[in-house]
Amino acid sequence: MAERMQICNLSENNFEQCTKCSICTTVCPVAAVTTDYPGPKQAGPDGERYRLKDPAYYDKALKLCLNCKRCEIACPSGVHIADIIQHARMSASEGRRATLRDTLLANTDLLGTMANLVAPVANTTLGLKPTKWVMHSMMAIDKHRTFPAYSRQKFTTWFKRHAAKDQDAFPNHVSYFHGCYVNYNFPKLGQDLVKLMNAVGYGVHLLDKEQCCGVALIANGLYKQAKRQGRVNIDSIRASVSRDKREVITTSSSCTFNMRDEYPSMLGIDNADVRDSISLATRFIYRLVDEEKIKLIFKQNYKRRLAYHTACHMQRMGWQLYSIELLRMIPGLDLVELEQECCGISGTYGFKKENYERSQAIGSILFKSIEEAQVEAVTTDCETCKWQIEMSTGLPVENPISVLADALDVEATRKANLISD
Amino acid sequence: MRMDTVIMGGGLSGLSCGIALAKRGKRVAIVASGQSTMLFNGGSMELLGHIDGKAVSNPLEAIATLPQDHPYSKIGADRIASLAERAKLLLTDSGINMEGNAAANHWRITPMGVAKPAWLTLNDHLRIDDLHHLPAKRLALMCIRGFFDEPNSMLAQGLRDLGFEVDAIEFTTDDITALRRSPSEMRSTSLSKRMMSNAAMQRMADQINQLATDADLVLLPSVLGQNDDSDFQTLQAMTHKPLRLVATLPPAVAGMRMMKQLRHYFKMLGGTYLMGDSAVSGTFDGNRLTSVSTAKLADMPLKADHFVLATGSFISRGLVADYERVYEPVLGVDVDADSDPDRWTRFGILEPQAYSRFGVATDGELRCLKQGQVIENLHAIGSVLSGHDAVKMGDGTGVSMLTALAVNDHIIKG
Repeated sequence: MAERMQICNLSENNFEQCTKCSICTTVCPVAAVTTDYPGPKQAGPDGERYRLKDPAYYDKALKLCLNCKRCEIACPSGVHIADIIQHARMSASEGRRATLRDTLLANTDLLGTMANLVAPVANTTLGLKPTKWVMHSMMAIDKHRTFPAYSRQKFTTWFKRHAAKDQDAFPNHVSYFHGCYVNYNFPKLGQDLVKLMNAVGYGVHLLDKEQCCGVALIANGLYKQAKRQGRVNIDSIRASVSRDKREVITTSSSCTFNMRDEYPSMLGIDNADVRDSISLATRFIYRLVDEEKIKLIFKQNYKRRLAYHTACHMQRMGWQLYSIELLRMIPGLDLVELEQECCGISGTYGFKKENYERSQAIGSILFKSIEEAQVEAVTTDCETCKWQIEMSTGLPVENPISVLADALDVEATRKANLISD
Repeated sequence: MRMDTVIMGGGLSGLSCGIALAKRGKRVAIVASGQSTMLFNGGSMELLGHIDGKAVSNPLEAIATLPQDHPYSKIGADRIASLAERAKLLLTDSGINMEGNAAANHWRITPMGVAKPAWLTLNDHLRIDDLHHLPAKRLALMCIRGFFDEPNSMLAQGLRDLGFEVDAIEFTTDDITALRRSPSEMRSTSLSKRMMSNAAMQRMADQINQLATDADLVLLPSVLGQNDDSDFQTLQAMTHKPLRLVATLPPAVAGMRMMKQLRHYFKMLGGTYLMGDSAVSGTFDGNRLTSVSTAKLADMPLKADHFVLATGSFISRGLVADYERVYEPVLGVDVDADSDPDRWTRFGILEPQAYSRFGVATDGELRCLKQGQVIENLHAIGSVLSGHDAVKMGDGTGVSMLTALAVNDHIIKG
């Protein structure tokens, strides 16, 4: 009886567990820089009580939430504060159409496909002052932002032409969810992953069908489209896991977090049977090293000093230690672990004109700590953090997989793992 | 993943133990489920404040009279002085500048204006060594307009009752006024973020210099310095009168600062701090704990030679009570708790409550027990321990730090 009472008293997002301690508000990067945002306690569990009474209590300021999830990480009572806020935004947006700007920003793969076709033109055009002016004033995409350069050749095109045929020969296999960034903007990261996995005896394969994970769609209120694409992805992942017996690895912390955690909680997509088979590549590789199934041999004369930035969604997953521990295996790599702070971009948030200043103010603490770290480059698992840090500090930013691939002695590693040519 | 020691809980005790071990070159991981109750700390540590409702003046002497089941007694009363000295040193090494004496309590002032015995207080916060010799005659209590976290009239009255002459002076600056747009944000931690620039600090100093001309000492709510005490130094340099901070209601800037500094120092020593993850279960092999699983690392448990349970009391969910029993939710180790729920609480919130002494059972070396059997490589430290009462005895922070260091010694000895 007693237990039943407790169970019946719990709501789905457990907002009644909030003890009003306000600790979440102390870590909110948005509330720290603007009074327009009421802070996570007010926007989340407190506001929820009102909204349950009458949806008219919905506060438009909730759109200022970055969905960085730092409030959830800080909460000592396990309240899903950011989920409460996102759900409130979702129900408030029902029946409303997203603006052209938001639709454009959200459809990273559509934008990518178009831009790849005309990459040199697109890169130049997107960087031109008149284009930036048009985007800034007509579409409210901030003029300070430069769109990440588009690659001439998609990752998938490169893969099919240069890598696919060799993959079956390896003793072990994984599928790779490359994501939009690798496919359209930065195929090198995907190539680095293939190089690394091949060196330790793993063949890399594409999924039957991969669509944009939808993290930007969710952020911009395009929930139906996000759900459609999410289903396609989970179906393909399921095929890889159950039919091909291949785990699915990724190189983007946000895609990973989205497919593992936001699919069920935000989009109602059931991924319970495959969730554990979706892993960030660094976690996957760390496990193999830890279980002594593979060996990584690094170059002798390698010397670099890098700073590791924990992306907010990476911290929410709690997996930064895998990337950090792998990087620490590289002799000659001097790694500074930065205090976790939000960089302020939060996917497409910082691209919007109305958010630009706030976005930079939020990131300023991180930028200062990077400057003080005196490093030659920064490493992080998130591509949008990369754009933000590169634009704001001028330092290059690399994914840990690229750092590992660069430091790897490929020949020695292949030999150590008994991979013949 | 293999560590030398895995600590469950990332608050004051977990970090103190982690820092001590990392300093000895051990590979340590701390699993921290969210921020800790240190964010409620107003800038002081207590060794022992009260026994049976009476204020303690010499904690070292008083500790010798505590019952056998008190964590201090388990450590050994004769070791308290040296452990307290080491705890102070650990704080200093982390950049936390505090003053105090384990053999003579001083007084800290609560936001309600009550003087309570304390062992250490942050250098930039108000500390009274002797209530008969106050550090100043006339105080200017600077009251921030619209501020939520300081009950000014109660604080002023409390200070007057102690014998101070108090001018309560309301003031504001443009930076503070801007924050008032969002009424829920007039909190100390939000203000501390606003006050970080020199320009904002100068505007505050101008107000203080203009309004607090008659005072020997200026008191300001603790809204400065969430990273270190440099913001206080800056404001002091801009202000004509000596300045001290006075604790606010939680979440407190002082506690936030101390946590940041301890965490930073632990990471600097090479420690791994898993923020926002929580230990969910353990695997035992006979009388030993072999690994601990966490919510986020899932099927990749943390293995180690030693484990430390530092998960805190009820508020941090280190202990859980349902309608029938009190239990330790991660490892299911034995607890010291009354089996009759009717005796857990008594009417009157300010009365001593039995539940505040509940906690995990330990042997003389602070090792946990499971079904009566000692688990050889699992120690418990801090608020999760039974036999003490942070609220009524004022021994919470002291127990956290001293048990952490005592357990560090047990682990190092092997």
